[in-house]
Amino acid sequence: MKNKWLSFSKLVAFLFLLVMAIIWVVPLAWGLVTSFKDNMEFQTMGFKFLPVEWITTNYTSLLVDNYSTPLLHWFSNSLIISVFHTLLVLVVVSLAAFAYGRLRFKGRNIIFTFLLATMMFPGVVNLIPLYKIIDSLGWVNSYLAAIVPGAAGVFNIFLVRQFMANIPIEYDEAARVDGAGDFRIFFKVILPQLRPILMVVALFSFTGSWNDFLWPSIVFNDIEKMPITSGLQLLQGMYIAQPTILMAGAIIAIIPTFIIYLFAQKYFLQSMSLSAGIKG
Amino acid sequence: MEVPAKLLDPKSKGKSVNWTPWVFITPHLLIFSIFFLVPILFGIYISFTNWDLIGKPEFVGLANYKELLFQEDSSFYTQFHNGLKNTFIFVILSVPFCIIIPLLLATALNAKPRFHKIYQSIFYLPTLFSISAVVIIWTLMFNVNQGPINHLLGQSILWTGSQPYAWAAIVIVTVWWGIGGNMIIYQAALNGIPKDYYEAASIDGANGFQKFFKITLPSIRGQILYTVVITTIAQFNIYGQPLMLTGGGPANSTRVLLMDIQQNAFGSGQSIAGIASAMAILLGVCIMIVSFIQFLFLRNKE
Repeated sequence: MKNKWLSFSKLVAFLFLLVMAIIWVVPLAWGLVTSFKDNMEFQTMGFKFLPVEWITTNYTSLLVDNYSTPLLHWFSNSLIISVFHTLLVLVVVSLAAFAYGRLRFKGRNIIFTFLLATMMFPGVVNLIPLYKIIDSLGWVNSYLAAIVPGAAGVFNIFLVRQFMANIPIEYDEAARVDGAGDFRIFFKVILPQLRPILMVVALFSFTGSWNDFLWPSIVFNDIEKMPITSGLQLLQGMYIAQPTILMAGAIIAIIPTFIIYLFAQKYFLQSMSLSAGIKG
Repeated sequence: MEVPAKLLDPKSKGKSVNWTPWVFITPHLLIFSIFFLVPILFGIYISFTNWDLIGKPEFVGLANYKELLFQEDSSFYTQFHNGLKNTFIFVILSVPFCIIIPLLLATALNAKPRFHKIYQSIFYLPTLFSISAVVIIWTLMFNVNQGPINHLLGQSILWTGSQPYAWAAIVIVTVWWGIGGNMIIYQAALNGIPKDYYEAASIDGANGFQKFFKITLPSIRGQILYTVVITTIAQFNIYGQPLMLTGGGPANSTRVLLMDIQQNAFGSGQSIAGIASAMAILLGVCIMIVSFIQFLFLRNKE
C-alpha cells in the first residue's frame, strides 16, 4: 500500500517535471534552430519549427564583420571581467573573514556589526555617485570598473565567517603552540578547509558578474571594451529587422556558459546548496 | 608564501598594538569605503542638490524630493510615480512565481523520479545566461507572426506591445531565467527534513497535501523567508527585461523606475543626476521598508 502511494507520487512528480522541462527547453531549442534559418525564409514562410534550408551565414556574418559587432571581443571581455572579479573577491573575502572570525583585535565587533548593518542599504542608491568615482579614477571603459566595485560586498564575508565557525578553534591553538603566526594559520590551517564555501562564493561571484547588465551599460561605451551583456543590447538595436542573426548572437553568447556548466555542473548544484544552511 | 619574519615572531605580540588583523581586513575595508560607503553618503548628499554629473553640485534642500513626491505638474513627478508603480506591479506579479514554482520543482525533484538530475540541470541552466541573450531568445518566442507561442495558441497576440500580455511576457522571462538559485536552496532544505516526520504523519493517515502544508512548509520556513526577502530585493532592481523586451511600452505601462533613473542620470542630453539620485534613494527606502515588513511578517507567523 505504502509503496503504491510512493510510486504514484513519483509518477506525478515525474510528469510535472517533464512538462516543466519541455517549457524550459523549447525556447533554447527554438533559438538554436532559428539561428540556422535564412532571414527571408523566417520572415515570410509562416511558422515552421525547423529550417527549410540550414544555413550558417547568420554566424559567419557576425563573426567575420568584426568592427561594428566584435562578438568574440565582447565574449573575452566578459570572461576577463568575471574571472578577475571572482579572484579578487576570493582573496579579499577570505582574508577579511579570517580576521573577523578568528583574530582578536580592538574594534573587531564594532566594525563587523557596522559592515553587516550596511548590507541593508540597497545598491541602487550608490549607482550615480559610484559612476563619478569610477570616472575620477579614469576607469570608464576600463575592465577595472566592472571588476573592483563588486568586491565591496559584505555578504560573502558573512557567509565565509559563518562557515569558519564550524572549524574547531583547537586547530588554530595547536598551530599556535607549534609557533605558527596568524598568516601561517590562515594559509595552512584555515584556508584549505574553506574550499567548499569559497567554491560557493566563486560561483556566485562569477555568475553575478557575468550577468550584470545595468552597471556595465553605464561604465562602458567603447564598443571594443564592453562585456557581452551590453554588446548584445547593442546588437539588438542593430539587427532588429534580422532576428535570425540576432539569435545567432544570443547562441554564441550562451555556448561558453553552457560548456562551463557541463563540466562544472556538480559544483554549481552541490555547492550552492551549502549556502542554504543559512536561515533567515 | 613569504611572510615578514617580524609578524611571525611571537615576541612581537603584546608589546605594542598587533597590526596583523588590519593586514587581513584592510583590502576589503579599502574597497568597501571607496566603492560603497563613500558613494552611499555622496548619493544621499547629491539627492539634495541640482547636480548634473559634471559641474559642482549646488545645494537645493528638499526641492528634489518635494518635486518627485508632490509637484503634480512636474514631468519628474509623473515619471517617478509611474516608474515606482510599475516596479511594484512587477514585484507583486513576479515574486510569488519565483517562490512557488521553484518550491514545486524542488518538491518534485525531492521525490527522486527518473531523470531528476537532468531535470534539475535544465531548470538551473538559464540562471547562467546573461539577461540580454535571454531576452533576445524570448522576443522571438513572443513574436506575433513567427513565434511558437502564438502558433501554439492559434492567436496573434501582440505580446510585447499590449497589456496585460506585456507584463505576462516580462514575468515569464523572469521566471524562466531566474528560479534556479531558489530551487537549489529549497532542494537542500527539503533534503534536511528527517524522513520519520513523514512516516509518522503517514501512520496518522495524513495525505500528501497535509504533509506538504503541515510538515514540509514549516520545516523550511527559514529558507523561504530568506528567499522571499532576497528575491524581492532582486526584483525591485528590475531593469533589463522591460528595457529590452518591451522598451517600457506600451504607453510606458512597463517603464520601471530604474529605467528613469538610468535615463535621467546617464541618458543622452543633460544629466539630471540630482533628481535621479533622489529617485534612487526613494526606491532604496521602499526596498528597505518592504524587506523589513516581510521579515516581521514571516518571522512572527507561527
